[in-house]
Amino acid sequence: MKVLEASGIRKCFGGVVALANGNVSCQAGRITGLLGANGSGKSTLSKIIAGVYRADAGEVRFLGQPVQYRNPNEARKAGIAMVFQNLSLVPDLKVWQNIVLGAETARGPFLDDRQARRAAREILDQLLPGLDIHKLACELNPGEMQIVEIAKAISADPRLLILDEPTAALEKAEVKSLFRFMRQLAERGVAINFTSHRLWEVMEICDDVTIFRNGENVGSIDFAADGRDPEKIVSCITGVAQKVPVAKASRPPSAEVALKVEGLRYGDALNNVSFELRKGEILGIGGLAGQGQHELLLALAGNYPGVDCVAEADGRRVRLNRPANAIRNSILLVPGDRELEGLFMKHSVFNNMIFPKLGLARQPLFTPRRQYREECEAAVGLLSIKTQDLDTPVRALSGGNQQKVVVGRWLSFDAKVLLLADPAKGVDVGAKRDLYRHIAGQVRDKGVSVILYASDIEELVDCCDRLLVMYEGQVIATLEGDDINEETIISTSMRVR
Amino acid sequence: MGTLRKFLAKPEFSILLILAAMLVLAAVLQRNFFEAKSLGRTLNAFTPLILLAMGQAVVIISGGLDLSAGSALSLLTCVLTSVMHKASPETGAYAIAAALAVAIAMGIVNGIGMGYLRIPSVIATFATSYIWLGAALFLRPTPGGESVAWFKLFYDVKGYAKAPPALKACAVFVPPALVLVLIGCLFWLFISRTRTGRYIYAVGSNNTSAYESGIDTAMIQLRACVINSVFIFLAALFFVGQNQSGDARMGDPLTLRAIAAAVVGGIALAGGRGSVFFALIGALILSLVNKIIFFANIPYPYQTLVSGVIVIGAIASSLAYTFYSRKSMTRRGKLA
Amino acid sequence: MNGTSLALAGFRGTADKQKKLIIAFLLIVFLFVLGQVTVSNFMSFAQVLLTIKLASFIALFGLCQMIVMAGGAAGLDLSVGYTATLTAVLTASIMDGQNANLWIAILVAVGIGLVIGAANGFLSAYVKLPPLIVTMSMSLIVQGGINVYTAGADITGKPSPVLQTLAAKSTGVFPNILFVLLIVTPVVMIVLSRTRWGLALFGAGTNETAAFLGGVDVKRVRFASFVISGLLASLIGLLLLGNMGLAFKDMGSNYVMPSIAAAVVGGVSMTGGEGNYFGVILGAIFLQTLTNLLVAIGWGDAGKWLGFGIVLFTLLIVYVSDRRVR
Repeated sequence: MKVLEASGIRKCFGGVVALANGNVSCQAGRITGLLGANGSGKSTLSKIIAGVYRADAGEVRFLGQPVQYRNPNEARKAGIAMVFQNLSLVPDLKVWQNIVLGAETARGPFLDDRQARRAAREILDQLLPGLDIHKLACELNPGEMQIVEIAKAISADPRLLILDEPTAALEKAEVKSLFRFMRQLAERGVAINFTSHRLWEVMEICDDVTIFRNGENVGSIDFAADGRDPEKIVSCITGVAQKVPVAKASRPPSAEVALKVEGLRYGDALNNVSFELRKGEILGIGGLAGQGQHELLLALAGNYPGVDCVAEADGRRVRLNRPANAIRNSILLVPGDRELEGLFMKHSVFNNMIFPKLGLARQPLFTPRRQYREECEAAVGLLSIKTQDLDTPVRALSGGNQQKVVVGRWLSFDAKVLLLADPAKGVDVGAKRDLYRHIAGQVRDKGVSVILYASDIEELVDCCDRLLVMYEGQVIATLEGDDINEETIISTSMRVR
Repeated sequence: MGTLRKFLAKPEFSILLILAAMLVLAAVLQRNFFEAKSLGRTLNAFTPLILLAMGQAVVIISGGLDLSAGSALSLLTCVLTSVMHKASPETGAYAIAAALAVAIAMGIVNGIGMGYLRIPSVIATFATSYIWLGAALFLRPTPGGESVAWFKLFYDVKGYAKAPPALKACAVFVPPALVLVLIGCLFWLFISRTRTGRYIYAVGSNNTSAYESGIDTAMIQLRACVINSVFIFLAALFFVGQNQSGDARMGDPLTLRAIAAAVVGGIALAGGRGSVFFALIGALILSLVNKIIFFANIPYPYQTLVSGVIVIGAIASSLAYTFYSRKSMTRRGKLA
Repeated sequence: MNGTSLALAGFRGTADKQKKLIIAFLLIVFLFVLGQVTVSNFMSFAQVLLTIKLASFIALFGLCQMIVMAGGAAGLDLSVGYTATLTAVLTASIMDGQNANLWIAILVAVGIGLVIGAANGFLSAYVKLPPLIVTMSMSLIVQGGINVYTAGADITGKPSPVLQTLAAKSTGVFPNILFVLLIVTPVVMIVLSRTRWGLALFGAGTNETAAFLGGVDVKRVRFASFVISGLLASLIGLLLLGNMGLAFKDMGSNYVMPSIAAAVVGGVSMTGGEGNYFGVILGAIFLQTLTNLLVAIGWGDAGKWLGFGIVLFTLLIVYVSDRRVR
């Protein structure tokens, strides 16, 4: 029985089309997998179904009726439960209190705690036996938190359960446990929508898979009917690329080493990463989303005081424990989440652009206004930043132009190593072209070395001289020359070959 | 054995330890500390702070702060003594009804400011404290007013000649102050078992997560403010019973002391954590500290200083303890 | 772009920020007009000057608040009142009505301010205790210290004539404190908007992560803000002494809350990153004008505070309320 059918869903954020034509259907008792790169639209579609976003066009039919939920609560009451990646647990409440939060049963005015504990125990015993339901949510490790999140969604007895990358934080054993439980749920008639970036998981647990790319479906495979063939999936994802032609560095990079990193370790995110960045080369970091690429760049920028590694820039030892150290060694970061990490939204373009200068030693006490203003004007022109003037607050700019401001901050610096964390995310084609053209120019003319992480594979293919593929915090492959193409990157990322 | 060790590791244990230490010190310094009469007097002196601290704790747990508590207390004493007429005993009942209504109204105003309008509670309650002060001065430009005789029951049963002997006998064991505190405790015990009680913790711990779980966070914060007002109301009854008069300024020093008492009792200023009953203990500790300083014959001028240092020490250590013994997770909807 | 168009562009760009200032100014004008209508002589020149004189002290303490609030992390300094009082009490006897020891008095004031500010800053920025609690407790300790000091002996001493001239007297018709404010204001504006530290402070208050990634030592910047606040509060204590002619135990404590209110009314954000000293001054003038108006109407104490509270609350609804957008 078709529990859910979404057709022709379209969603734009600002000027960026996140979902052009999303379609998926979920059947009772079956586990449908959603597969696709970051930004392919699969998460957006799930969120629209669950009521987090409102679709711009298209129709969602739940149990045969067209629906449009205003918030996840409404969806939950109707029988659609979604488990998110950013955790929605209340830290100071116990596990069982979190599971029933918002839907507690009461006897008269008093909460029925015994019933709540029993229900929580029941659900958790199937998911993660042995978890102490009296622990506070903040005392759990990320894997346990994710399980409790799932338990919370299930306690609402949904007809459709949407799991958005639930295995990201889980150990293998926990994943197996989760799968067992999902199978049981499916046998009870619940329809399940499952997203993961690990191919083996999708292959193992899903009954069918819908593949997304660039905001629309590019293929659907019914495992029962067509069998489980990873190559087929890869070829679906690869598809036909739309090229944004950018001139690659025409001369080969020199043999000089600009940055050498050995044994970089940080918590769970990064595990023994070593590489050498040559002068004048663009080194890409690829792999599926969330494998540590972002953390790697933050670590190289000195963001983690507790990072453990040996790093040399230009032959000199660098301690990457403070951003100021990295900046002083001309290792500059263009952060990925510009709103959270890169910009002061309320402040003017000017204030944002000169900010990094404040961290340098040997800067005058009084900022030399005129000189800085001239430099900013130059940057605005160079990057074609569309802004009314330097004093406009950056939140008034479009996403692409905001990103240009983030990049433009470093223009007056003599960068030796430029760390780009997904610089073109959420940026329109024109701005993207400007950005990459500018970066290529920096590499060509000034010998800047670049480490580029892009969630869009095309960007990596177009720009990089070499590519490190990351998987779960480690570098699992280095691709060069002709190997840098979509198919090879994707199959290496998914560990098919 | 495992549960015992878990208990010892909790901050609550160290608070109880501090209380025990204070009690011992107090008994050492004041020979007759544990005698019924002096215990009674001690309790009477402590009661206002205890009630205010408990109410304040509820607001803090829900994620706010009430800087208007002292002024609210003053206003309620003025309301009581303005409605009552010495000559007519029944005005006492009217006064109680009026004061309760005013208290709830004050809670609603604060709650709307904090919960619905989302004004930072520090500055919102700062503003409302002046509104309460102004209203109080309006009713009682100078301390005074009238109180019916039976109001003394809230303070000292023996002081009311017409009290039935049975009541007087009870009062030897259970002084009115204790009754008021017990009423407060029962009130909170009741609420803590309801949805509102659970949600107050959820909202204070992570407002966004609570909202996304379908909780009406604004209403919960409003209810927390109203609950606080009820505690303040009880304290007002006690004060008028004790002093037979209303004073627009009497509550001023109590506001910050109530907050300090709550923090000493383990209530986290960030919200979502702590027990209202331990705020009671915090008030006891703070009051005992003052008593000890008094009885230790520390020269009067040093008393404020020592008291201040001890307050900071207690707060700092309780904050540091909870900070270092907790893994950091999300607070208030922002991922660490 | 030539100079004029740059300037014009600059003005247009900042119009958004100035909105709050304009509102504050209009409110003051409104109050004055209201006063003139209801009470004669309200808007006399002398009255206006007197209001500004009284408001100046609030504005000076408001500066302390603005600096710690700008750095973010719920910055607040509740110890400014007693810091000022402590300085006044100690330096009164040092100066004893003479100019000779004025320099020593200033040094003592600087010392007191730095010590208290550093303690506040260390506990707030490095140990990460909530500034509300830290500065509240510091206020208690300083108050206790004053009690100790004044218990042994009465507070003696008078401010040096220089201070008295500066704080209490007027040049012609203008109160001198106004000139102090006129000098302090541009200095503050320049430091906050044109120095490395000032920009770093506002950055830390707006977006701690972005500031940190940009290479700013957020903890150090916030520490400095508390030190400066303590230093300023202490120096204001000298002025208070000069104004009153003697020191007494409760000199400064009544300025604390109004200083916070003035900052908020003047557009300083309690979460950090936003603020303009001119706004704080306007906020202080507004509060003082409001108080005067209510007194002039004859509402007495009760009406004064009632009106004060209601107006402040209403203003907060307009300025500060952060209605959740869903």
